[in-house]
Amino acid sequence: MATSRSEPARTAPAGRASLPNDAAVDPPFRRVLIANRGEIAVRIIRACRELGVEAVAVYSDSDRAAAHVRLADVAVRLGPPPPTESYLRIDAVVKAALDTGAEAIHPGYGFLAERAAFARAVEAAGLVFIGPPPAAIEALGDKLHARRLADSVGVEAVPGTLEPAPVDRPDQVHAIVAEAERIGFPLLIKAAAGGGGRGMRRVERARDLPAALASGSREAASAFGDGSVYLEREIRPARHVEVQLLGDGEGTVVALGERDCSLQRRHQKLVEEAPAPGREPDARRRLHEMAVRLGAAAGLRNAATAEFLLAPDGSFYFLEVNTRLQVEHGVTELVAGVDIVREQLAIAAGRPLSEAPRAAAARAAEPEGHAIEVRLSAEDPGRDFAPTPGGVRRWIMPAGPGVRVDTAIEAGDRVPPEYDNLIAKVMVHGADREAAIDRLRRALDETEIAGIQTTLPFHRFVARDPSFRAGEVSTDWVAARWDGPAEHARAARAAQLAAGLAALDRAAADGAAAMATPLRHITTSDGRWRRSGIEGLVDRWPR
Amino acid sequence: MAALSDRMPDPRGVRIALSAPIEGLGPLVLEPPQLPLVAVPRMAGEGLLGGTAPVEPAGLEEPAGDGSAQVLVDGEPIAAELSFLDGERAILRGEGHDEATRVLLLPPPAAPGLRQGISHREVIVDGWRIEVEVESAARAALRERASRGREEATHSGPTEVHAIIPGVVVAVSVAAGDAVVAGQQLLVVEAMKMQNELRAPRDGTVERIAVGPGVTIEVGDLLLVLS
Repeated sequence: MATSRSEPARTAPAGRASLPNDAAVDPPFRRVLIANRGEIAVRIIRACRELGVEAVAVYSDSDRAAAHVRLADVAVRLGPPPPTESYLRIDAVVKAALDTGAEAIHPGYGFLAERAAFARAVEAAGLVFIGPPPAAIEALGDKLHARRLADSVGVEAVPGTLEPAPVDRPDQVHAIVAEAERIGFPLLIKAAAGGGGRGMRRVERARDLPAALASGSREAASAFGDGSVYLEREIRPARHVEVQLLGDGEGTVVALGERDCSLQRRHQKLVEEAPAPGREPDARRRLHEMAVRLGAAAGLRNAATAEFLLAPDGSFYFLEVNTRLQVEHGVTELVAGVDIVREQLAIAAGRPLSEAPRAAAARAAEPEGHAIEVRLSAEDPGRDFAPTPGGVRRWIMPAGPGVRVDTAIEAGDRVPPEYDNLIAKVMVHGADREAAIDRLRRALDETEIAGIQTTLPFHRFVARDPSFRAGEVSTDWVAARWDGPAEHARAARAAQLAAGLAALDRAAADGAAAMATPLRHITTSDGRWRRSGIEGLVDRWPR
Repeated sequence: MAALSDRMPDPRGVRIALSAPIEGLGPLVLEPPQLPLVAVPRMAGEGLLGGTAPVEPAGLEEPAGDGSAQVLVDGEPIAAELSFLDGERAILRGEGHDEATRVLLLPPPAAPGLRQGISHREVIVDGWRIEVEVESAARAALRERASRGREEATHSGPTEVHAIIPGVVVAVSVAAGDAVVAGQQLLVVEAMKMQNELRAPRDGTVERIAVGPGVTIEVGDLLLVLS
């Protein structure tokens, strides 16, 4: 965290054209507010500092001394710990920006990042929203709309319906069941406004469909305030592949490359890599081209990600677009050689796409080396990834060649229960996938965390698993390969053994001096003398 | 555990229990290398009074430091060795661990053991965090024998269900007086944006519910009582 406290930003002198990315000469903004917390807030503050932009942090009461607050130039309190009273308060965030004289707001991911209402409020206050325009967020956030958009530009979406399914309409049951038969069972009911698996239902038989539609719609309505649901074929085993897009709002949209995020559980990504293993440059190029077509049609400005499912037969189906910086953007940065957050700031300042992303896009089908990211989360992989907030006693992160760690945690910090449980992203970059996996294994061996259980054991397992090394990844991988309780029990046995050996050693060391004298000279054949003597000593040992 | 009831453990032995139980894993009893007893052939006509011991300690030297120290684990001799690299990091070798396993042995976490004679340790193995309780094996055996009767008596009594994660109670699915079966959902706790169902540990009747929706709970808080 060696951050040089730069002098106040200088006014932009001439020479902007020749040095479009030279921050010290020409920062895109004077001051930017980061409406987020944790590792992503730290990541964005770092980009601001490198650009000579002052960073304004916001925080809730449980983050008063958090890393993003310590790193920022200015910090503003939002409210009590619950997100709805702090990080999700649009009015408070916009007011903090106006009060501190920030010119732009970066939303990070999660919280308000994909709320069109937030982007609108930011723009209404005369500030710049660092992300896609509100209209694009709205249009692409509605998955049905996105599916129709894909259809209109000839990008094949996952087979299914393009209009909201009728719910609780007995007269239309026939029609929707016929539609479902055409799509094929098993299929998924998904919420148009959805995310995180909410409102999602898996249906195996036609007669279960009406009830599943009703319950999925109910859940969607309570989670998102919009009960629209649609049908989609279930593609299994599938791989989850997504394309990083950057657009400058002047018609240029480029793809920086794709990421494979197949290792998931309950639609939460655990491991991401770039490029997607086992794909030929031609297939990559076609995929990137589809994503660019979608982004251009949606009028994309700034950063977004188009997600696809890769079916076992090798065909890609469009899934959805995320109109924000992704958690896993770092792996693309490593193989593309582009600082995506830096580009986001430049684009938001109205600059055309710079040379770095254009060059990266040109070689995106044949990227430099291979990068893998694992998400260290405060979750117990032995107990079905249950959350494990608490105090971190020990925190040693890996370093060395080809290792990047994005985190906001230090030893002694607390992981609060109110927020996302991602605590660090460990990324590695190697000449090829083999080298990257070797590096990941080494990096995770160096990692030491105590105080809370994290997903580290799962990631250590991934780094050693032959099927992962062989690139045999899919969204079913975690369920098929990971036996958390067994791994946990094996480690617990070793822990017991180690603690026992340590206790015996300690006792022996403590007692050795006292024991040596009496024992040496006891030559009686009857062990009871010796035993009673030892028992006397045992009771005097410090415990 | 069978081994424990058969004989009293070596007084130098230690018993390592898991603070959070894991199915299929009981406490582990470690005893120091036992002095090998060498049988001396009894000479005809010479009994105890004849001056020759029936057995004789083979050696009273220092414990072997040659790297493959023998230790008794639940009564079975096993070659295992722990070498400390510093005060907390160590390398564990042996017992089916082909490669050396890196281990972190840390002093007790914030709340030290309440029961006298038991010391707590936080052990990190392969990224797993395991809390153990270290106790003299002999003491543990005595304690167990003393409490065995008592435990059986209380087993059919009320079971208190405590919080295992901190969070906010979002739903209570049962009411006092409800009969529940093992595995039935009792309440839902939200922590870190995830909803976690808390299920009944056994069959019974809900005697009392100590929390309601919206209540913030900490680890260890009483949630409800099953009878």
